[in-house]
Amino acid sequence: MQAQTTRSRRGALHSDAATGWLFLSPWMVGFLLFSGFPILFSFFLSLTKWNLLGDPQFVGFDNYRTLFSADSELFRTLQVTFIFTFVNVVVTVLMSLLLAVLLNLKVRFKGIFQFFYFVPTIMPTVVMTSCMILMFNPQLGIVNYLLDRAGVADPPNWMGSTTLIWVVVGVASIFTFSTGQMMLIFSAALKDVPLELYEAAAIDGANSWSTFLRITLPAISPMLLFNTVVATVNSFNSSFALIFPLTGGGPGDATRVISLAIFEKAFQSFNMGQASALAVILFLIVAVIAALQFKLSDKSVTYQ
Amino acid sequence: MNTHTPTWTKVLQYAVMIAMAIFMFFPIYWIFANSLKSLTGISQYPPELFPSNPQWGNYLEVLSKPGTLTYLRNSLVLVVFNTLGALLSSSIVAYPLARLRFRGRGVAFALILATMMVPTVTLIIPQYLLFRSFGWLDSFWPMIVPSFFAQPYNVFLFRQFFMTIPASLDEAALIDGCSRWGVFYRVIAPLAKPVYITVGILSASFWWNELFLPLVFINSDNLKPLTVGALTAFQLTGTNGQIAWNLQMAFAMIMVLPPTLLYLFASKYISEGTMAGGVKG
Repeated sequence: MQAQTTRSRRGALHSDAATGWLFLSPWMVGFLLFSGFPILFSFFLSLTKWNLLGDPQFVGFDNYRTLFSADSELFRTLQVTFIFTFVNVVVTVLMSLLLAVLLNLKVRFKGIFQFFYFVPTIMPTVVMTSCMILMFNPQLGIVNYLLDRAGVADPPNWMGSTTLIWVVVGVASIFTFSTGQMMLIFSAALKDVPLELYEAAAIDGANSWSTFLRITLPAISPMLLFNTVVATVNSFNSSFALIFPLTGGGPGDATRVISLAIFEKAFQSFNMGQASALAVILFLIVAVIAALQFKLSDKSVTYQ
Repeated sequence: MNTHTPTWTKVLQYAVMIAMAIFMFFPIYWIFANSLKSLTGISQYPPELFPSNPQWGNYLEVLSKPGTLTYLRNSLVLVVFNTLGALLSSSIVAYPLARLRFRGRGVAFALILATMMVPTVTLIIPQYLLFRSFGWLDSFWPMIVPSFFAQPYNVFLFRQFFMTIPASLDEAALIDGCSRWGVFYRVIAPLAKPVYITVGILSASFWWNELFLPLVFINSDNLKPLTVGALTAFQLTGTNGQIAWNLQMAFAMIMVLPPTLLYLFASKYISEGTMAGGVKG
């Protein structure tokens, strides 16, 4: 009896493995072809010189040497990418937290408010960026009209300034998927904050700002940290969709983030080797951040 | 909270919430308002908040441009086939991750979580070369085919939902003589309707928004989706080379409408799907 159960269990386990891998096979093929092979092949390509004609020429670490040479644009690109990530993450995290706090107030018509807060974040990015270009237009734009009305003597040319362009990028970042997603995540986290804590604070006579700082913020801090890391990783993906239609990397190279640089090098100047070297550098940056996230999610979030 | 909230606090709360709603929704309203202006109306100073003489003909003009309906058709092709592929392949792949115990399952799941974070742009060059060797450049294949081989985020969403279905249902079906495939097909999939809707909506809106992949893989104008078409469609049609903003905004409204309607009819599924990646396992 005992032996039989063991055997049938073992049998089940064996057939589970075969069935399991059969079910997994579409992913296996997809993973090998569209992720695994590309990652390895990128490393190889980054050691070659190739313009898509003829065969790739092996050049060792030449591409990296060029990228890390003193007059290379790599450091500028990384600096711009860092600024973009910082602006994008700070704006989306703060905005989503603010919207989530508002949605957690005890008010009526919550569904309607959520519609107005959330729908702008699921719009195609090209649509929102083209609207931003119109709104920040120095002659036609409503932003400069409002500034003019408010008494600003000489409203700026937003899209033409290498510093003010980040204001436009920041505003455009609000209307991206990240904001809506984090708003809902924060909103759920805020609902989980124990009511007793708020009641205790109310008895102590704390005002709403100090309640937020002393009760709400500490309670949702794991989620705040988690969201910040996820938003950082997301920003590498969303940077192209936002920057390409909004500024095209300009003015000059002021907003030329690394995703745009890879796209231009690979598909406009067909410099596959250097583009791959840039891709490898980006891959390594993301890998470090991802490792950090796994460490964090061990502590704050559990994938069962 | 039982504490009594003073009236002026309530008023302030509503005021802030309404101000925020106006701020968030203004760009979409502005697209709509400008889509109804004439070309001279666009450059009018001060800008008209409510177009006094709405030009509904702008929409007719945009729709009657030969490109527009082609772009729309291409966007719909990408949305429909990629969503179909995502639903089929990701749910099948997610089943053993939620239910079967076998060597390598943990590794596979870890790899799926890890690839979720790899930016597309780091993989695009080898993918481009791969599809080039297949002769698939300038076609929909490089975008549609990978969707039939399971995308990590969708697999993750399906797995999380399958875990909430009681395993006793599987066991009962197995005792009744169902194969594992039968259990998945007859028991789990029908019970998992909500997550199918969620993934369907997420995939549809992803492909409705996607700019990067069509930009890389598509050259011919008659294969471009709306996102790529929007970049060039009405840039130079005005007199003396000025941008025809009114037509461009009417074009944009065509892209605004479907996500808005989708939210109105399925907000519950959108919210759940959007959050699932971040919150609890």
